[in-house]
Amino acid sequence: MRIRSFFLFRRYTVPTFIVILLLSTLIVMSLRVKQRKGVDFFDALLMELCAPFQKASTFVIKTVRGVFQEYLFLVHLQKENSMLKQRIAELQKENHQMKEMALANERLQKLLQFREKIYPTVIAAEVIGQDPSSWFKSVTINKGEKDGVRKGMAVISPEGVIGQILKTAPHYSTVLLITDYNSAIDSIIQRNRAKAIVEGKGENRCQLKYLLRTEEVIVGDIVVTSGLSGNFPKGLMVGEVKKVDKKGHGVFQYAELVPSVDLTKLEEVLVITGSSPPLQEGKEKKGKKIPVSPVRRKGGT
Amino acid sequence: MRRIVVPLLLGVIFLTFQTTLLTPLPIQRIRPDIVLILILYLGLFYPPILGGILALFMGFLTDLFSGNGFGLYTLSRPLIFYVAQFFKGRFYLESFTSQFLFVFIFGLVEGLLILILLSGLNPGPIGNLYPLLFTLLLPQSFFTGLATPILFFLLRKGSFLLFRHHEMGVMEKGDRS
Repeated sequence: MRIRSFFLFRRYTVPTFIVILLLSTLIVMSLRVKQRKGVDFFDALLMELCAPFQKASTFVIKTVRGVFQEYLFLVHLQKENSMLKQRIAELQKENHQMKEMALANERLQKLLQFREKIYPTVIAAEVIGQDPSSWFKSVTINKGEKDGVRKGMAVISPEGVIGQILKTAPHYSTVLLITDYNSAIDSIIQRNRAKAIVEGKGENRCQLKYLLRTEEVIVGDIVVTSGLSGNFPKGLMVGEVKKVDKKGHGVFQYAELVPSVDLTKLEEVLVITGSSPPLQEGKEKKGKKIPVSPVRRKGGT
Repeated sequence: MRRIVVPLLLGVIFLTFQTTLLTPLPIQRIRPDIVLILILYLGLFYPPILGGILALFMGFLTDLFSGNGFGLYTLSRPLIFYVAQFFKGRFYLESFTSQFLFVFIFGLVEGLLILILLSGLNPGPIGNLYPLLFTLLLPQSFFTGLATPILFFLLRKGSFLLFRHHEMGVMEKGDRS
């Protein structure tokens, strides 16, 4: 009897194992959806083990690319140099005008007794890897919980919004990009202050949802963060409207925008870890965190 | 022990290449899914228990570094592995065309599975993902298929050198469980 049952067991070992394995994957999925701590711990552990491979690979790629870009591809350098010099001169002039405007703005704010502006504190991080799948849009950065990075924190670059922190490990994090279909950011059109939600559409494109048909939106309009979602400070550039469609019926119109940051060529990012008043600027500079003034655009907030 | 450690390490290396080396390609959608190729290779030449665990681990790793919050690859990769196991020995997979078609079809099947799971699990509609079937899934599966014969050849050579015994022919291995 025992021998018979042993043979039966042996006969069904593989099918039983397959069923158990596939059931366990469903359990893992369920735990992930419920965001249980156990899975998070295991995720962080594996990320810590595997991310150094990505870091090393990125370092090698950057070094090789650097050699090519800095030494071998120096054609048209003189022409480019003169163009850049001209551009610097233009920017210096613009910068001087901006400084004057900022000083005037400060004087007027004091005059009107406005509250002190809150400056976000940021951590600079390096992108060490991209999303392995083509369905989702994310990047891995070399800063984690030990550096003060937490889930949900906003990630930006000098050009605009990049995304938000999705997963964290002690020294590494995953950033969900604004082009991912899961991403949604509360935004406004800079020109007419029309409210909308920027949702990812994949392939370096986003769409504006819940944009009222009555709002006049044109191609070329700049979209900035509204500051209502909490994680993103107000006035950060999100992108530029590339397509507007009022066809069909309904309360809302359709608009498509291109992010201001080229998300396919990300190398360095800034994670907004919190806010501090400008008076603490000197203290913050001693540590890793550096305060930056919010991105200001022509006619923006 | 080597039969576990080598594919495990290879999985990590392939994933690293997929997230770093293959990303600067000018068009993102032609980036081949080399981890899928490895899993299909394991499906053809590895036993169901060991190979299943390795496929599960690689699916888990893929989920870890992707923006996917559900863990879809943790399910899809072992499934793909077992479907490949089911078909091993039933097809002639020694030629370029057959290897290309085998991986191309599996790439499409996995993509469809991911999309079905996403539409089932997502609370909101995912209508904006359906055009990606043609703009992303088809070209990516095509290029994954194209990369397959080269990778299969390299994996076979590597296995032969490492394990020192002849076990690589699909036709020979196909009749073994």
